[in-house]
Amino acid sequence: MSTIEQTSRRRQEDYRRERRASSKKGKRKLNFSLLNIGKGIDIPFVLIIFVLLAVGITMMFSASYPVAFYEIGDSYYYLKRQLIFALIGLVIMIAVSFVDYHNYHRFAAVILGISYFALMLVLVLPSQAGGVHRWIGVGMFGIQASEISKFAIILFMAHWGSRYYDRMGTIKFGVLPGAAVFISTAFLLLLEPHYSCIVICALLTVLMMYVSGIKIKWLAIGAAVLAVIIVLLWVTGALTYAMERMDGWGQALNPDLDRDMWNSTWQTRNSLYAIGSGGLFGLGLGQSRQKYLYLPEPQNDFIFAIVCEELGLVGAVIILLIFALLVWRGVIISLRARDRFGKLLGIGLISHIGLQVILNILVITDWLPNTGISLPFFSYGGSSLLTLMFEMGVILSVSRTSNIEKT
Amino acid sequence: MGSNQMLRKRTVWLLIIILAIGFGAVITRLAFLQLVQGEELQRRAIEQQLSDTPVSAKRGTIYDTNGKILAQSASVWRVVMAPAYFDDGPDGDEQREFVATRLSEILGLDKADLLEDTKQNTYYVSVKRRIESTEKEQIIELQKQLAEKYQKSGLISLLDDYKRYYPYNELASSVIGFTGSEDQGLWGVEYQYEDYLAGTPGRIISAQNGIQTEMPFDYNQNIGAIDGSSLVLTIDETVQSIVEKYMKQGVIDNKVVERGVCIVMNVNTGEVLAMASVEGFNCNDPYAISDDQKKKIEAIDNDYLIKNKYTEDPSKLSKEQRDELIEKAKAEAESAALSRNWRNKAISDTYYPGSVFKMCTLSMALEEGVVNEDSRFVCGGAYQLYNDTIHCHNTAGHGSQTYQECLWNSCNPGFIQIGQLIGKEKFWQYYQAFGFSDKTGIDLPGESEDQFFIHDGVEGNMFDTDLAVASFGQNFSITPIQMITAASAVANGGYIVQPHVVKQIIDADGNVVKNVGSSTKRQVVSESVSQEMRGIMEQNCISGSGSNGYVAGYRVGGKTGTSEKLIDVNGDGVDDHIASFCGFAPANNPQYAALVFFDAPTAGNYYGSAVAAPVFASIMSEVLPYLDVVAQYTEDEMANIDTAAGSYTGMSIDDATAAVAADGFTVTVKGEGNSVLSQNPPSGTAIPTGGTIVLYTDNTTQVDKVTVPNFVGYSISDCNNIAAYYGVNISVTGAASSSSTAIAQSVPEGSEVEPGSVITITFSSAGIAD
Repeated sequence: MSTIEQTSRRRQEDYRRERRASSKKGKRKLNFSLLNIGKGIDIPFVLIIFVLLAVGITMMFSASYPVAFYEIGDSYYYLKRQLIFALIGLVIMIAVSFVDYHNYHRFAAVILGISYFALMLVLVLPSQAGGVHRWIGVGMFGIQASEISKFAIILFMAHWGSRYYDRMGTIKFGVLPGAAVFISTAFLLLLEPHYSCIVICALLTVLMMYVSGIKIKWLAIGAAVLAVIIVLLWVTGALTYAMERMDGWGQALNPDLDRDMWNSTWQTRNSLYAIGSGGLFGLGLGQSRQKYLYLPEPQNDFIFAIVCEELGLVGAVIILLIFALLVWRGVIISLRARDRFGKLLGIGLISHIGLQVILNILVITDWLPNTGISLPFFSYGGSSLLTLMFEMGVILSVSRTSNIEKT
Repeated sequence: MGSNQMLRKRTVWLLIIILAIGFGAVITRLAFLQLVQGEELQRRAIEQQLSDTPVSAKRGTIYDTNGKILAQSASVWRVVMAPAYFDDGPDGDEQREFVATRLSEILGLDKADLLEDTKQNTYYVSVKRRIESTEKEQIIELQKQLAEKYQKSGLISLLDDYKRYYPYNELASSVIGFTGSEDQGLWGVEYQYEDYLAGTPGRIISAQNGIQTEMPFDYNQNIGAIDGSSLVLTIDETVQSIVEKYMKQGVIDNKVVERGVCIVMNVNTGEVLAMASVEGFNCNDPYAISDDQKKKIEAIDNDYLIKNKYTEDPSKLSKEQRDELIEKAKAEAESAALSRNWRNKAISDTYYPGSVFKMCTLSMALEEGVVNEDSRFVCGGAYQLYNDTIHCHNTAGHGSQTYQECLWNSCNPGFIQIGQLIGKEKFWQYYQAFGFSDKTGIDLPGESEDQFFIHDGVEGNMFDTDLAVASFGQNFSITPIQMITAASAVANGGYIVQPHVVKQIIDADGNVVKNVGSSTKRQVVSESVSQEMRGIMEQNCISGSGSNGYVAGYRVGGKTGTSEKLIDVNGDGVDDHIASFCGFAPANNPQYAALVFFDAPTAGNYYGSAVAAPVFASIMSEVLPYLDVVAQYTEDEMANIDTAAGSYTGMSIDDATAAVAADGFTVTVKGEGNSVLSQNPPSGTAIPTGGTIVLYTDNTTQVDKVTVPNFVGYSISDCNNIAAYYGVNISVTGAASSSSTAIAQSVPEGSEVEPGSVITITFSSAGIAD
């Protein structure tokens, strides 16, 4: 039993400690020695990452070689690039794991600024296919501005939630900053446009607020406000592009589609064909038929459809269990983190992975409209893989301070 | 609650939401798709992954009994389109416009329809079937244009297809039938044997990728088309041609309104050698109607509307309404004309058999033993039965007759009395036994049922008057095929055989699939009765009412028939008749029977003896020699007609002239040479005694031709004189008595023939009113 005074005093100490942690002076000597890779980071988490990366690249190769063969003339085109990115990614992950994550605590606002800058920069850069403004840079060296935004939001929310942890019950500290960051980011994403990212950002913002400890009623009010905004956008016609993408959503298997609808649902329909063809045990590794130019871009967002076709329900569930294990381990690491910022940062990052997996599969199974949500570790793409490995590095960095028994 | 505790608690909730709800939902969804919907989705996936191209099977050939081709499928092409290859957007619209325009120009199809086709989202649209090679060349040109202009291949392709050809056009059309636009049999044996003829279409199945090129690994399954089996008919093209030639002439000569029918059948096997419903259709163009029919349809006017009960008073209708009615009447008249042309009267029409049926009645009486040598049947020109008076065609009466004389005289009162001896019950039993109460089951579509007497709902329940008229073939209806089957039984020893037109089915590799042998259903009269009937009917053709059906050199048995239609078909105010003749040869050992049947002759004489019997004689006089039936001349005939010409080739002129004279012929020598190089007629040809033999002594004068004169209307002696004058020979058939006149000649007037050629002339004696 603690008295009110004791509680109050402990809060003040916690607060001072958090303030100190976010300042230069608070930098601690932690075990970030280069010679201590195995002992410092969480080995099970790393092993899970290796497994996912190995399975992911294998499946990406299997899914991509017909496309690579027909469209580029080199069956190994995507494999070679993905392997290079994976190696660079691993190096980045290890490197980042040595960086004291408290650095991000201090630079949260700066990184958020960079995110805004990137989002505005893409708007003036030339558009990509479909008239969208998403990429900075070209080809292998490009990155989606939204990748930065998602990390920036998680980071800012972790930063804010740990710094003002005791005021999260108030609107001013608990709700308004997060809402402001989200709405401003969402506004810029709307101009790109990149709706699926807005959804992910919204989910991330809300879950970070929730874990940080805001009052449940604000979440409820927020949900209501969101609903109103969506209705307004609907009415004003700003959702035209999204509507087009949603045209045919859930109708992929309808046999009486006119030509336009047939084309817009082509990818989803072939995804469903692939998944259904897999059955319980699948057609066998490399045996997919749908990857032969039926399923467009099988190496990207719809890669899991090919996984389902080749490995069946059993293979798909095993892979999902590995993802679940990753999330589980990530949460354990986060909860055992030494300070609140580490906890929130870890939870945010690992939740992001979980959300991506769920949303991706809901898209390929036609439960969500066909929007660009990639599958972590599986989908082809340099910048997203590097971003992902960077985030894994951050979690590993957190794990170095976790009170988990190191083996 | 401390903030760390809250964070921990909320994190656990978050974990539950993500893992349990999120991952749970995802796995449930996947399980549903892969396990519940899996089969259907896989089916649809395979459907698009496999390209499936149909391959037409070649339809079987139809041969006549000697292997002449009556129907054959020839290779043509089918144009198909894969509209899914068109680009989207304005480029695609331009391509569609281009393709639709070119295709409509080349194939003569509606452009709007084609444009509609190009918008479909499939890889297989059949554009047109059965294009010929000229159109095919243009399509290939179009394919090249598409490749150059739009880099499109596979948009338009050509597949093998087949087209049905009937080399003999109208010949045996009602038996052969025709096929429809999808190569399916619609009528005749084409319809009846569809399962054998059609074959099984094949498919080429190959795995393909999303852009419809073949997969790098081979997966190709070729299910070849199984070509249809061929039919060998019992129909003999030569016999059929002879039959149709004389039947057409008979229809014209006798102004027959409702077409003519002839069946020639092997009495022992039931094989139908010829079956003609003349004024049929052209198998190659079954939807064409004759000019006469067109004229009649064009002439449809207000009177026609009233007469055919379209309306009571056309003047009350507006012009639009009347035009509409006339259009409707025209359309109906055209479809009626078509079904009339297609109708196989030989099996579809029912008619009162009339006196022809008397051969059955007499057979029954003989089999039952109710008549004998002592039986006498008195005819006073009419027979009083209760309140009805039934007239004999000979109103003066035939007096007292034996049963044979009843048949020879074709005496109705005589047969009424024979019928009464048989009795109603026995009559009905024999009627059934002769096969009149059932369809014969001939392997052709459209066979009709008979109509016999029904009282109180019981078929065969006859009244006395029914029996009376039935005994001479009136007031019940049967089909011609039933009549000839029964007549065959009378001739062949009493056996009801199964009539059929297909004798063998051969598959595409030449293996026999099925042999249709002769099958006998039952014996209806004994051999002895049959033998007696043969004698009576032969005598009938020599001296009785059937003498116009006599065929010189052959022993023929037959019976005439004239039956009332009880309707007026040509609108002259008089009920019309059916003239028929049914006979067989040789009478001592019957092999072939023929039934000749003219429906509503309106040229004045409508009796079977005058209309049908001579046609029977003409047909048989050509058919029997062709079928190698051995000629059996009577002594009289041997004396004055038809001796086989000898071989005089190679002899010197003097020797040859002497030899010709010794054989009983007159000689004409043509040419400047010293020895005979060739002769006409060739050796072995039967020519009348005193006929002309032309001997050629060099090759130069062989081109001389004789123009055939007219023989019709002259007596036998006149004809002999005319023939001698023109240097041709005649062969006499039909009723060759001094009162006979020629009614037909085998070679038409005005034709050019070599001197000495034999022309068969059919004679008919006037004055036989049955």
